[in-house]
Amino acid sequence: MVNEVQDSIGPSSMRDSVIVREPILEVQSVSKRYPGVLALDEVNLAVFPGEVHCWIGENGAGKSTLIKILAGAASSDSGTILVSGRIVNLTSPHVAQQKGLSFIFQELSVVNGLSVADNILLGNEISNGTAIRVKASEMRAKELLTRIGFGYLNPSRKVSGLSTAEKQAVMVARALNLDARVIFMDETTASLDRDETVQLFSVIQSLKSEGRSIVFVSHRLQEVKHIADTVTVFKDGRVVGTYATNDVSVSEMVRLMVGRDIEHAFPAKDREFGEVLMQATSLSSAKVRDVQLCVRSGKIIGVAGLVGSGRTELLRVLFGLDPVTVGELEIVGQSRRLRNCREAMGLGIGLVPEDRRGQGIVGMRSVEENITLTWTLQNRHRSWKRDSVKLARNFVESLRIRTPSIGKQMELLSGGNQQKGIVARWLAVRPRILLLDEPTKGIDVGAKAEMYQLIDKLAREGMAVVVVSSDLPELLGLADEIAVMREGQFMGILPGSCSEEEVMRLAMGHIPSVEVVA
Amino acid sequence: MAVFTSMSDRFLTWDNMQNVTRSASTVVIVGSAVTLVMIARGLDLSVGSVLAACGVMAAFLAAGGMNLWLSYLLAICLGAAFGAFNGALVVGFKVTPIIATLGTLNIARGMAYLISPSAILVGLPDDWSLIGTSTVYGLPIPVLIAVVVALFFGWLLGRTVFGRHVYAIGGNEEAARLSGVNVNRVLFRVYLMSGVATGLGAVVLTSRLGSGDPNIGIGFEFEVIVAVILGGTSLAGGQGRIAGTVIGALIVVFLGNGLNLIGVEPFWQYVAQGVALIAAVILDRLARQERAEANTREIIELEIGHDGITNVEKTTVEETI
Repeated sequence: MVNEVQDSIGPSSMRDSVIVREPILEVQSVSKRYPGVLALDEVNLAVFPGEVHCWIGENGAGKSTLIKILAGAASSDSGTILVSGRIVNLTSPHVAQQKGLSFIFQELSVVNGLSVADNILLGNEISNGTAIRVKASEMRAKELLTRIGFGYLNPSRKVSGLSTAEKQAVMVARALNLDARVIFMDETTASLDRDETVQLFSVIQSLKSEGRSIVFVSHRLQEVKHIADTVTVFKDGRVVGTYATNDVSVSEMVRLMVGRDIEHAFPAKDREFGEVLMQATSLSSAKVRDVQLCVRSGKIIGVAGLVGSGRTELLRVLFGLDPVTVGELEIVGQSRRLRNCREAMGLGIGLVPEDRRGQGIVGMRSVEENITLTWTLQNRHRSWKRDSVKLARNFVESLRIRTPSIGKQMELLSGGNQQKGIVARWLAVRPRILLLDEPTKGIDVGAKAEMYQLIDKLAREGMAVVVVSSDLPELLGLADEIAVMREGQFMGILPGSCSEEEVMRLAMGHIPSVEVVA
Repeated sequence: MAVFTSMSDRFLTWDNMQNVTRSASTVVIVGSAVTLVMIARGLDLSVGSVLAACGVMAAFLAAGGMNLWLSYLLAICLGAAFGAFNGALVVGFKVTPIIATLGTLNIARGMAYLISPSAILVGLPDDWSLIGTSTVYGLPIPVLIAVVVALFFGWLLGRTVFGRHVYAIGGNEEAARLSGVNVNRVLFRVYLMSGVATGLGAVVLTSRLGSGDPNIGIGFEFEVIVAVILGGTSLAGGQGRIAGTVIGALIVVFLGNGLNLIGVEPFWQYVAQGVALIAAVILDRLARQERAEANTREIIELEIGHDGITNVEKTTVEETI
């Protein structure tokens, strides 16, 4: 691994004839633990001057956590960060800024009510002591914008009227004014259309030519391939490796991001399908279009697609959280219009949401309360409390939820055990259809294997399962059929025996070809 | 408390104790319901004004010749109406609890003055003060009512499915909703109960005071919130107990009474209450921080144990395939 890193950085730097070998930013064995999950595990990487360095990885792989630490918005548990070879202690966003690190996030932190110039010089106003010198400010803003190819923007204009790309340019100009050495762009292209992406890339080129470094986080691998000099792959809080972009293909990037080490743990796909429990015909909501699904007892359907492709929204429609606009949803033979999730539950549907901490667990309450939360809706008999304890004990035992006791606060459990607790919450009410949104996200390999065994067992007992996952090998290993989503559109169903490439082709479609710029 | 005892020989007398627990009873009655509201991550600032409106209402009806018990009942219904109004604003119109109940605070105060601009003393029936002043086996009736109310809400929180859902909503509203809990209905009921309890508190208080006064309960919401927070209910929701609120209410009232007896000016009592609230919130914050740190340590220990198990199981999984 270490060799790989060194080998790959060599040619990359040489290619761009950057002779300076001293990294501008170095991250050394940085770790960060959040309750229930190890977000960063001994991460090492280096960013060199004048390079475009892309960080890729699945959601939850650790990129955002590392950015937060570098931005001074979170602290690391251990490890060292060096800027220009000196150890820095990034205790606040202000310190990070002073050290020459600037950050541009998808949710832009521009002040809409202020002018372009005011935004660019925010916190570093040009003044005569008290009053702002408007002329000088606007000239300075104009100069900065010109350097990145946005000289046409009128500095006195309100920011609220600008396009997303222009707002990003304002942020970049602000970073330039602070003489930022490393500019981080966290999924900034996700909200841009094709032309704007091209615009942003020309900004990146001009920054690079000034010798500044850009750390670019993106899920669009074609873009990465196009713009990056170096790629660092994150997986499960670790750095898989750093590579020269020329040395890795897009499919290799996917392989490195997703990994294959758990492939062997999948159960055999010899399940027998039973009756049709749910049928969606040309189903659409505000967020998804043309969903065609046939959910049968004993069958596991996987839902694939990129982040933001409408997978979660698909489950939300099936669970009655988003209203159906067009099409038909038939549940056990009857056409239904679900008005809320309680109606869906009444028909035997359960949902394990993606955001475990935000939507799944009630962290400060006990394991028992968490497991029997839904069960208590239907069981208000005299001795409900005793039965609740009994039920929770049974699930802790049968699902092997590792907790010192059922009275323990849920947030103290590891991610995998919390997830089993949420699944148990549904099992307690015996649903016929279980919707799982990223059920193995952020849990360790062993717990993942257990989750697969559990899903298989439930299907064999006659439950219908719909699983959303970003982990493609996992979906292929688990599901009998793969439904693919792209930008809200239902792209079709592939057999569970299909290849990763087939799924990816449907999921990515024609990427707005950035090659046009080149 | 030891300080007050040493500084005033009247502090630890039977009379004073009866007196203090009597005034604490209103705080306990209302505070118990507000505890539910705050566990569900809500807030009810309107209780002081609603207290006044309900009290004046009861006195107005009774002085007008209505049956005493019926006028008490209608006063409680008025409290329920205010509670339902708060609940509808928060649940139906998604107004933040602080603003919704702040609005109700003013509306209810205005209504109290509209019913009667000054205290109603004349024409009240003879048995008006029966609830407020008589005793059963030496225990003042207001105290008995407070005990019953506190036990009821304690039972509701700790022993019923409804209570579970209150905790779950305060702990993570979205998780509760996605688990099928009818969040809106639970929240509405919580505000409704707060209104009913305030109506009952008003009956007890006005009966004890012997008048229907639109000026009562100014700053009462403050005492209640201090009692609830001193009692350990988390500002972040999801945690808290009625027993804590009862203790908190006693602390608040004893503090006021003690300062009074040792001759501290009433104005300083406001200062003392303010300090008590801020101190309680800071302590709550520190305790939570410490707990969060302790939690992180505990998880690490738990997971070291887990990895051992996980590894063993992983190999068995491999072997079976």
